[in-house]
Amino acid sequence: MVTAQTPTNIAVIKYWGKRDETLILPVNDSISVTLDPAHLCTTTTVAVSPSFDQDRMWLNGKEISLSGGRYQNCLREIRARACDVQDEEKGIKIAKKDWEKLHVHVASYNNFPTAAGLASSAAGFACLVFALAKLMNAKEDNSELSAIARQGSGSACRSLFGGFVKWNMGKAEDGSDSLAVQLVDEKHWDELVIIIAVVSSRQKETSSTTGMRDSVETSLLLEHRAKEVVPKRTKQMEEAIKNRDFGSFAQLACADSNQFHAVCLDTCPPIFYMNDTSHRQDNQLC
Amino acid sequence: MAEKTWVRMVTAQTPTNIAVIKYWGKRDETLILPVNDSISVTLDPAHLCTITTVAVSPIFDQDRMWLNGKEISLSGGRYQNCLREIRARACEVEDKEKGIKIAKNDWEKLHVHVASYNNFPTAAGLASSAAGFACLVFALAKLMKAKEDNSELSAIARQGSGSACRSLFGGFVKWIMGKAADGSDSLAVQLVDEKHWDELVIIIAVVSSRQKETSSTTGMRDSVETSLLLRHRAKEVVPKRIKQMEEAIKNRDFGSFAQLTCADSNQFHAVCLDTCPPIFYMNDTSHRIISCVEKWNCSEGMPQVAYTFDAGPNAVLIAHNRKAATQLIQKLLFCFPPSSDADLNSYVIGDKSILKDAGIEDIKDVEALPPPPEIKDAQRCKGDVSYFICTKPGRGPDLLSDESLALLHPETGLPK
Repeated sequence: MVTAQTPTNIAVIKYWGKRDETLILPVNDSISVTLDPAHLCTTTTVAVSPSFDQDRMWLNGKEISLSGGRYQNCLREIRARACDVQDEEKGIKIAKKDWEKLHVHVASYNNFPTAAGLASSAAGFACLVFALAKLMNAKEDNSELSAIARQGSGSACRSLFGGFVKWNMGKAEDGSDSLAVQLVDEKHWDELVIIIAVVSSRQKETSSTTGMRDSVETSLLLEHRAKEVVPKRTKQMEEAIKNRDFGSFAQLACADSNQFHAVCLDTCPPIFYMNDTSHRQDNQLC
Repeated sequence: MAEKTWVRMVTAQTPTNIAVIKYWGKRDETLILPVNDSISVTLDPAHLCTITTVAVSPIFDQDRMWLNGKEISLSGGRYQNCLREIRARACEVEDKEKGIKIAKNDWEKLHVHVASYNNFPTAAGLASSAAGFACLVFALAKLMKAKEDNSELSAIARQGSGSACRSLFGGFVKWIMGKAADGSDSLAVQLVDEKHWDELVIIIAVVSSRQKETSSTTGMRDSVETSLLLRHRAKEVVPKRIKQMEEAIKNRDFGSFAQLTCADSNQFHAVCLDTCPPIFYMNDTSHRIISCVEKWNCSEGMPQVAYTFDAGPNAVLIAHNRKAATQLIQKLLFCFPPSSDADLNSYVIGDKSILKDAGIEDIKDVEALPPPPEIKDAQRCKGDVSYFICTKPGRGPDLLSDESLALLHPETGLPK
């Protein structure tokens, strides 16, 4: 058994739109800031035993199915990288080829409400992949692990690092170069303080997966954003973070958030993620 | 000129219009030249209009204007541009009966009085400056016997307020962006008249707004300066949509018309959101209305209603035909019933017969309305909509010969 804790992250240059739905490959780079896991995190315990007769998972206390493509992709990719494990004290010896016959149990818990829309699947899949990698003694580094977490949930790849993280969109068709790298660690700009306003929402929101697919299919502005705007902004954002240039950082973060929501509005049917309260906070800051 | 004093007066009525392919962004702020073409539908002046009386007399010692009863200044650039451009085109006027004879070169020494009145509240955000400037220019042209046709007059009205140029015609109108630096080819033309597609019914939801809105002039300037998406819209998206929209209107293809209208309204608001600082014209009520329409259109398989929003939260809903409009008003009244003390007679104005068609005679009928089946857990949001206006595509500007409708006194030239 192994227990891991993973943070969630918030994109400051947004990921919105896939060029490959199965491998979860994005149409542009994205950059995020990792939030302190002391306040928001996913804790996941993974266990393996010959006494388990199937893969099982419990999320926040409720058993869920692992049959979906995303879970299957992550499990398969990690299992393919499993190595020998030896624990003389406990009398455990697992050879590389034993792993494909063994089953795992997974229990995961978010210390923040799923309904709050705080990217719980990002933290969740990152934690699952990280914990399994430790359990199975995989040799991959966090960037390589991020390429696996990415197949569970795109933004999960960015939760494999602290500080500021970039998800390189990659070029390869098999997605092997679409992974996260750390830009700077959490100490680099540690005077930043993050306040999240959890806004009361009466409406059921459009899922990100459905929403971004509709955007790719119907927004005439998205392609221009991905091809022309984001590449420049990504470079400028990397500079701003490196130089702790808050003026540029703020201008870019606000502009990119607004443009992401603009693309949502330019989608058919239009997607409204922000409401009057969201707008009022925007006005307050000016 | 005759020796005894005289007053020559003309009264005109002009409609307002709603863009279905939007104008947002100027390439020239002084001449008001846009970055893309736009297309609009003219609304029936019987329900929404501006009435303007213009008078000229040797006893007037300065140009003066009254708007909705209050005197306003004509010193601003927009008014000055319109007055100058029309005066330059004034011709000889002779009225033997009244003893009036004005030579072409007399006009520059004469002053005018203008009184204008909107039959809809300015605060309702229903494009009153479009109707207003169109009416001013049209009325002055008639007063001064200018020979220009309505397209040429639209190029002058454009200099008062961009969208005013489209109010010089009825039916569906296109404002051609033009190429000339002096704006002489930036003008409106009629695509089809108001009879071409007269089964369309237009319902406007005037949404309660707590916020003072960003003015269009400021807003679109900020968008041009800061939105990285606007240029792409103007160069790549709008030209294609204009062609498709002209086809859809010509062929009365409501499916395409609705898809284009909704998409362009949303893209305009997307560009506003992509502006720095971001502009939010639509609010939660606007979104709820869009959601209602999208769900209904989706459940029917074929669009029944198109929606479009200008620089404000008001919804302009264009229904395919009377039947769709009747169903629409039922769904809207379910979702947005009047507040308990409201009078139904002032909650749905314009063509009130739509209520009769919908089987609604009093508040009890509104309360008894069934929820729209395509909306799960439909909410009733009392008070979110201030009132509804039911209208249709309408005709262009007209002179009103009935002297009792004139806003200025025939002898003093002062407001009645």
